Amino acid sequence: MKNKALKLTAAAASMLMLASCGSASGSMVEKPVMNLTDSTPAAAGELDTLKWSLYAEPYSLDYAYAFDYSDNQVLANICEPLLRLNPDLSVAPGLAAKWENPTPTTWVYTIRKNVKFHDGTTLTPKDVVASLNRHLDPEVGSSWYSAFANVKSIEATGKDQVTITTTKPDALLNESLSGAAGVIESAATLEKLGGDYGNASGGVNCTGPYQLDEWSSGEKLSLSSFDEYWDKDLAPKAKKLDFVVMTDPVARVNALKSGEIDGGWMIPSNAINELQATGTGQMYFGTNSAVSSLVVSNPEGPLGDARVREALVRSIDRNGLVMAAESGYATATDSLTAQGVWGQQPKKVQEAAFDQLNEYPYDLEKAKSLVKEAGAEGREITITTAPMGNNFNVVAQATAAAAESIGLKATIKTVTPNAYTALFSDPAAREGTDLFFTNWYLSVGNPLEMFSIMRTDDFSNYGGFSSPKYDKAVNQALFSEKPEGESKNLLEAQKILNEQLPWLPLYETPTTLWMSDRVTGTDVSVNYLYYPWAAQIGAK
Amino acid sequence: MSIQEAPRKAISRLSLHRTRWGLLISAIFVVVVILAAVFAPLVSPYPPAAVDLLNVNSAPSAAHLLGTDALGRDTLSRMIYGARTALYGPIFVILLSTILGVILGLWAGWAGGIIDAVITRIFDIVLAFPALLLAILAVALFGKGLTAPIIAMSIAYTPYIGRLTRQLVSGEKNRQYVSAYQVQGFAPGWIATRAVMPNVLGVVGSQTTQNFGYVLVELAALSFLGLGIQAPAADWGNMINEGQSALVAGNFLPAMIPSLAVVLIVVAVNSIGGWLSDKLGDPFA
Repeated sequence: MKNKALKLTAAAASMLMLASCGSASGSMVEKPVMNLTDSTPAAAGELDTLKWSLYAEPYSLDYAYAFDYSDNQVLANICEPLLRLNPDLSVAPGLAAKWENPTPTTWVYTIRKNVKFHDGTTLTPKDVVASLNRHLDPEVGSSWYSAFANVKSIEATGKDQVTITTTKPDALLNESLSGAAGVIESAATLEKLGGDYGNASGGVNCTGPYQLDEWSSGEKLSLSSFDEYWDKDLAPKAKKLDFVVMTDPVARVNALKSGEIDGGWMIPSNAINELQATGTGQMYFGTNSAVSSLVVSNPEGPLGDARVREALVRSIDRNGLVMAAESGYATATDSLTAQGVWGQQPKKVQEAAFDQLNEYPYDLEKAKSLVKEAGAEGREITITTAPMGNNFNVVAQATAAAAESIGLKATIKTVTPNAYTALFSDPAAREGTDLFFTNWYLSVGNPLEMFSIMRTDDFSNYGGFSSPKYDKAVNQALFSEKPEGESKNLLEAQKILNEQLPWLPLYETPTTLWMSDRVTGTDVSVNYLYYPWAAQIGAK
Repeated sequence: MSIQEAPRKAISRLSLHRTRWGLLISAIFVVVVILAAVFAPLVSPYPPAAVDLLNVNSAPSAAHLLGTDALGRDTLSRMIYGARTALYGPIFVILLSTILGVILGLWAGWAGGIIDAVITRIFDIVLAFPALLLAILAVALFGKGLTAPIIAMSIAYTPYIGRLTRQLVSGEKNRQYVSAYQVQGFAPGWIATRAVMPNVLGVVGSQTTQNFGYVLVELAALSFLGLGIQAPAADWGNMINEGQSALVAGNFLPAMIPSLAVVLIVVAVNSIGGWLSDKLGDPFA
């Protein structure tokens, strides 16, 4: 018995020593190398089964509710939109072989011939009309309604033609149809499945390269290749595709390290070095449309004053935050739009969009003086967060510390992930919250999508930001019949957001992809949310 | 065996009190933790909330003896400040549950009959709910933090003390010194509180020491779940929770240090409680 105490002490000491060895790699002062790439080497052969990790189970495979990373990365391989989103975020023909814009308020889509649904039936304009009209149906309550806010009618206007008429010109509508908003489902299936459509028991019946075989809730979604897929260039190279739900990041990373799982998107940034060190696969970084920022949600609080918002941005060491929250795999930014979404603009505009920005370097003295000038010293802010990853925790606590350092009083309120999601849709859920963190991604390669949500009274303008000059610039870009000087308006909107900081920009993260040494083939871009990326993956 | 007894027995086995060295080490450890908690501002090398984003998850060094966490905060400083909440919560629960338990147990044991039956049944009902479950319910009703869990757990722990007190008082009631007081005309209340109660408090005291370990683990679990002390306050349960993210990067020190501290303080307190039981006599041994 006497030895027990000594053994316990010895064990504790050994564990501490072991732990300290393990933690040596944890400290990271230098920014790691992060080379962006568009694609991975093409696949050389076929696979029996491709196993892919999912950080969360999809909420639904109903395209009307597919509004998150976990839903869309699965759905993209089963269901297809009218148009395709390329890796560079440009738009190409998809289920619509071509499109025309004969008048500013009319979009005519020619539906591709001989496209089969997974049940063997053929795609018709009736399916397109039924699928798209669901977004206009208040009973459906589509998450993508805003993309159709200006739509007057969606009608079949020929045996292979569908026409969308809008109440006013809409610069984003056509591009929106390259995402989940443009997904086409069999009209007969929609009618047959009703409320079960898209859930684990009902499933879906679309035209994508993979078809859903089984959805075991909480475990995995099993897909198999669809032999009658219309695009022979994207014929699946893996016969079976299993999406394995692994919510625990440690388990997910270990499965990737061991090769038990072939790959995954959205790799936890603090695991990237660990994964790369294993040598069992390859880490890729690609284009993204997301900016991580702090949403200001209470215009009545101290952050209703632009000077306090600027002070808070200046009090956060965002380069340090990149290291702490994302292990260095991100870039600090002063813009609320990612560089990637400007890719379709002329080169000059792309450069001007970022060259013209005010910079907000880490400057505590300036930040304190701004708070003092605004008379906000001692005022309280509440930062709401959720246990949704290391970056959420680090951003919330670092922001609270920064706020305290400039004379504000900060409280962190931790809520459940579901309650956190409600912040984005329910004004009541935002009551008592001044700030919350988001990694806001755009569904199209156009900064207008971001600018449109910051207009006065827009649904996602959570902080009630309002600027007539800004609204005018964005509306001109969105609705003008011939949007002369669209670039000028985009630059104007970018500049105003940068000056007014309705949300506080933190950093841009790349799209991250890990693939084991066994597989290769897909592009590396945020378009994986809407493009049938898994069909490209095969054996090395 | 009830659902609650299994973990309670497992925790109570974490004890070194049967060896002299074990007891000495336990006592020293408890004293060190108490002193660290009391003099935290004096002995802590850094403020517990001081963030250093360019020095996150660093290994132990001369500047940071136990390394840093995911925000570059000094782990040793947070452990020292975390000792305050680690001790503060259990102390309140033990005080409240002991006061309530002794009063109710004394009343039930001394009065007997219907009063005894009613109080005992109430104890049985409360014992049917695990303390942690009651604490989570209290958080759901009254919000996060320490206050609601402390009240809920005080209620949950009252029957342990109450049943023990009742059993001891029932035994004492039939002893000759009690009859002597009664013959001399002392009031029943006086005999119960002035003559009987002092004779049972020693054993009750050793039981409360054992309960301290259970409460500490359960409050740490509550913080680990994000329902107890809220960030950025330093708390061992919180630190274990936050340290989990570093596990992905293969760095287990931020989670392991507070975990180890919880285990060691429970072992140490149990050892002292076990020694007290041996000295004072455990009626259930």
